[in-house]
Amino acid sequence: MQAFAETWEGQGDMRPRMRRTFVAVTTLSALGVAWFVLTTETGLISSGRFPDPAATWAAMRQLAGPGYAGSTLVVHVAQSLKLVLGGFLFASALGVSVGLLMGWNRKAEALINPVFLLLRPIPPLAWIPLAILWLGLGDAAKIMVIVIAAFVPSVINTSTGVRTIDPTIVEAARMLGTPHWRYMSEVLVPASLPAIFTGLRLSLQAAWTTLVAAELVGALAGIGLVLNVAQQDIYPAMILSAMFVVGVLGWLMTLLLGLVESYALGWRTA
Amino acid sequence: MGSICFDKVDKVFGAGSGVLKALEDINLIVADKEFVAIVGPSGCGKTTCLRMVAGFEAPSAGTISVDGKVIIAPGPDRAVVFQQFALFPWKTVRGNIEMGLRNKNMPRAQRAPLVEGALKLMNLESHAEAFPHQLSGGMQQRVAIARAYVLDPAVLLMDEPFGALDAQTRVVMQEELVRLARLNPRTVLFITHSVEEAVYLADRVAIMSRRPGRIKGIVDIKAVRLAEQWDKSERIEDVMERESFVHLRSNIWKSLREEK
Ligand SMILES: Nc1ncnc2c1ncn2[C@@H]1O[C@H](COP(=O)(O)OP(=O)(O)OP(=O)(O)O)[C@@H](O)[C@H]1O
Ligand SMILES: [Mg+2]
Repeated sequence: MQAFAETWEGQGDMRPRMRRTFVAVTTLSALGVAWFVLTTETGLISSGRFPDPAATWAAMRQLAGPGYAGSTLVVHVAQSLKLVLGGFLFASALGVSVGLLMGWNRKAEALINPVFLLLRPIPPLAWIPLAILWLGLGDAAKIMVIVIAAFVPSVINTSTGVRTIDPTIVEAARMLGTPHWRYMSEVLVPASLPAIFTGLRLSLQAAWTTLVAAELVGALAGIGLVLNVAQQDIYPAMILSAMFVVGVLGWLMTLLLGLVESYALGWRTA
Repeated sequence: MGSICFDKVDKVFGAGSGVLKALEDINLIVADKEFVAIVGPSGCGKTTCLRMVAGFEAPSAGTISVDGKVIIAPGPDRAVVFQQFALFPWKTVRGNIEMGLRNKNMPRAQRAPLVEGALKLMNLESHAEAFPHQLSGGMQQRVAIARAYVLDPAVLLMDEPFGALDAQTRVVMQEELVRLARLNPRTVLFITHSVEEAVYLADRVAIMSRRPGRIKGIVDIKAVRLAEQWDKSERIEDVMERESFVHLRSNIWKSLREEK
């Protein structure tokens, strides 16, 4: 512990970014080592309960190479990304627009909010039967469910962002004679952007969370299908591999969103 | 052009048991190109007066007009300099100053020299592309003043514009404002807690009573300033040491003290 604290002090001149990366790599490596020790090395956790690294690696290679559940990894990932991206983009475009409208116009809020409050407690997955009735077993139904899940955080955060805008900024804009459309694009949206991005991040997360469940029903490909089939085959290593794929994809997309955010909010760090 | 006229203005906030009479029978005429400062105890309704001229708030009775036109909404003919600057943090200094002109649909070629002029006037040329958070408080307030000035407004409304600044910056800004006012005279309604600041800057000082706020007196400064040739003194402290200045200041101060 003492030694660790000392090296830690020694990192004092490291840039915060490097330091964070260092911590992340350390934590992940520690987890990997613990996994290896608990399963392969000591056998404290039997491979029947939780797969060891070697088995997982084998399952991963199977998924990537010959394929599993009817397709290879690339096909599964492409299918899942299509659903998540489609659902997320649609939901965030709609959610941010509705949120802006609600925060901007009291009448719009009075109209939309009651409906919203009623629909919100319904779990997105409860829409699956209706989605299938309406849109069949294809992608459209799955995207609909994802949209319903991902829509909510965008709306809430955007409208909160708009409503909590600094009132003197609003007055400054009015004093300067800012026309409506420019007020929207150059005052309201930039002022709400931090809150909007918080909403988008939560929406993205909701999209991924819903994906797997949406793909449990009538999917021909996708990570959700892999999980489902692996469960039926009692193949824990494959389940873990698929979960790993979801984790990495979700992380990459969050990273991408973060890049978009730091570009859009560039003035903060300029 | 730019005269402000308060005609029998009352302002009441709230309703029922929560009703609060903020202003009562305010009558004041600020002439074109005149600099009037308002001083008064906290909560007497100074900000409310200014916000009504700006068009953010409507009088409960009476009318306020600028150049004979009754005010119904905010507009760039009445530029406001806010105490907390109220710059758009996501716009550069230039972007902030340019905003009002763009809103007037002024073509770029026509805007550019005006913006450059405003930047130069406020010594901001080297910071044109900076964002507000990269500037000191004094510089941010200079941007806010430039943003107001560039609109060529009929009247300038300033609510304790230097209240958020440290003492040294404040003095610099006061001198700058005087320089600006002489160079480029404007109708100014200026609110301050500082009697010294009011006497130094204004042509006339209006003293308000405790709530409900009324104008209890108006002191003419300009006549004394011209007669005593204050403008010959370069620095603010030289003006403030003059006997005529001290005399005016203590008169206003005594009148204010009765209200505390
Ligand atoms: N929107 C409002 N709703 C209710 N009451 C208000 C509102 N705005 C101001 N008041 C009240 O009106 C009175 C005058 O307020 P105002 O801000 O004009 O005072 P002020 O002279 O500017 O004070 P200070 O010197 O502290 O800035 C205060 O009692 C204040 O509480
Ligand atoms: Mg005030």
